[in-house]
Amino acid sequence: MSLYLRQIGAIVRKDLLLELRSRERMTSMAAFAVLAGVLFSFSIDTATVRPQDVAAGLVWMTLVFGGLLGVGRTFHLEAQDGAFQGVLTSPAPKDAVFLAKTFANFVMLYLVSLLVLAVFALFFGLDVGQNLRWVVFVLGLGSLGFVALGTLFAAVATGTSMGETLLPVLVFPLLVPMVVYGVGSTDRLIAGRPLAEVEGNIRMLGAFALAAVAAGAALFRFVVED
Amino acid sequence: MSTVQAETARAVDSGHRESAVLEARGLVREYGPVVAVDGIDLSLDAGEFLTIFGPNGAGKSSLLGMLGGAMRPSRGTVRIRGAELSYSDVGWRNRVGILSHRGFLYARLTAEENLRFYGRLFGLSDLDERVSARLDRVGLSDRAGFQVRHLSHGMRQRLALARALLHDPDVVLLDEPYTGLDPSAAQVLRTVLEELRDGERTVVMVTHDLRQGLQLATRVAIQVAGRFAWERSAEAIDTNGFESVYHRVVERT
Repeated sequence: MSLYLRQIGAIVRKDLLLELRSRERMTSMAAFAVLAGVLFSFSIDTATVRPQDVAAGLVWMTLVFGGLLGVGRTFHLEAQDGAFQGVLTSPAPKDAVFLAKTFANFVMLYLVSLLVLAVFALFFGLDVGQNLRWVVFVLGLGSLGFVALGTLFAAVATGTSMGETLLPVLVFPLLVPMVVYGVGSTDRLIAGRPLAEVEGNIRMLGAFALAAVAAGAALFRFVVED
Repeated sequence: MSTVQAETARAVDSGHRESAVLEARGLVREYGPVVAVDGIDLSLDAGEFLTIFGPNGAGKSSLLGMLGGAMRPSRGTVRIRGAELSYSDVGWRNRVGILSHRGFLYARLTAEENLRFYGRLFGLSDLDERVSARLDRVGLSDRAGFQVRHLSHGMRQRLALARALLHDPDVVLLDEPYTGLDPSAAQVLRTVLEELRDGERTVVMVTHDLRQGLQLATRVAIQVAGRFAWERSAEAIDTNGFESVYHRVVERT
């Protein structure tokens, strides 16, 4: 295995180990997901609106807002005792650092997105059995695009006095394409529509995720270098 | 020219030397309108131990940050063994070890996990032996499995030193290493730092502790307002009278 991949592996392993011990981010994201699902289910008048019709949008909004709680704290533990400075002054390339932190965030957010899906399936009576694997795939693509942008801008926001308050202001406008294609795909897949109807949306979602990862890897060093 | 300036001009080596391990030319670091480091030249051979004293705000940490590649100079260059530091090529970072007053340690990782993590980032192959040897050297073998948050400040600083030396760097940069240490922890640190004077490494230490700084140094500089206002070989320094020299230099500059 090349040094580059071993460096990525070391950071991913460290991030997941820290999360396993602190449970700081997963707990807040999971709690938000469950509470949002419950509250949204009470906020809909089922006499006038079918829960299934609005579920896809609410799933993605829960994912975005919940994800921000976790991704926004990506560099919180790093800041303690200047640990991230130690990473930045190591021979690990900055793009490797970004890819590693994005991947660790992706693992966490993807688990949360599956929880969100389960919560909404329960409270909104969704039947996603027919297209379950494609819904799970779409949520994976969305999670990847989100964490790539979120990780990059969390690094930007960490260095500012406004910190986490600034993060949604920076990230949300850039997430519009992801939400449009993600909701469009999820909505039809949940409704049991054929895959052919959403292939274009899924491709766009994939392109968005790849572009976000590539842009993050290219720009990260400009954000973190002093 | 004042006496201080004249003495400094003689002591500072401004020419390029092939033997230099660490070399800085015209280093400047600006923070907006504030000039923290104002055109410092530096040339150190293997085995040299430069201690830099100076008041708060003199730009000492900024200088160390630039020497270690932690921050870009606004102007000027840094060379390690003749190769100019390039931020796109990170291979030279294997040659530099940095110990800050912050330990660069993860509080929820154990002492051993911290060293293993950094060892993997540096691509070290004999990690088991290195980690074990470094922990033993700083007297933390029996704390290897303790999370850093459960270690005392002195233990953390010793672990941070083990981290900084894990990859056997040619150049070691120490920023206020004695801050907050009790006498016994300071003694352990001093013993390890004395071992760095092995004739092969180049060490730059920034400290406010005049006594500790003079004990280890082969060269001494006093930095004021971003410049080396005074610089000497350690042999030429009267240790007992240094405190008054320090105050004189700081007040005049």
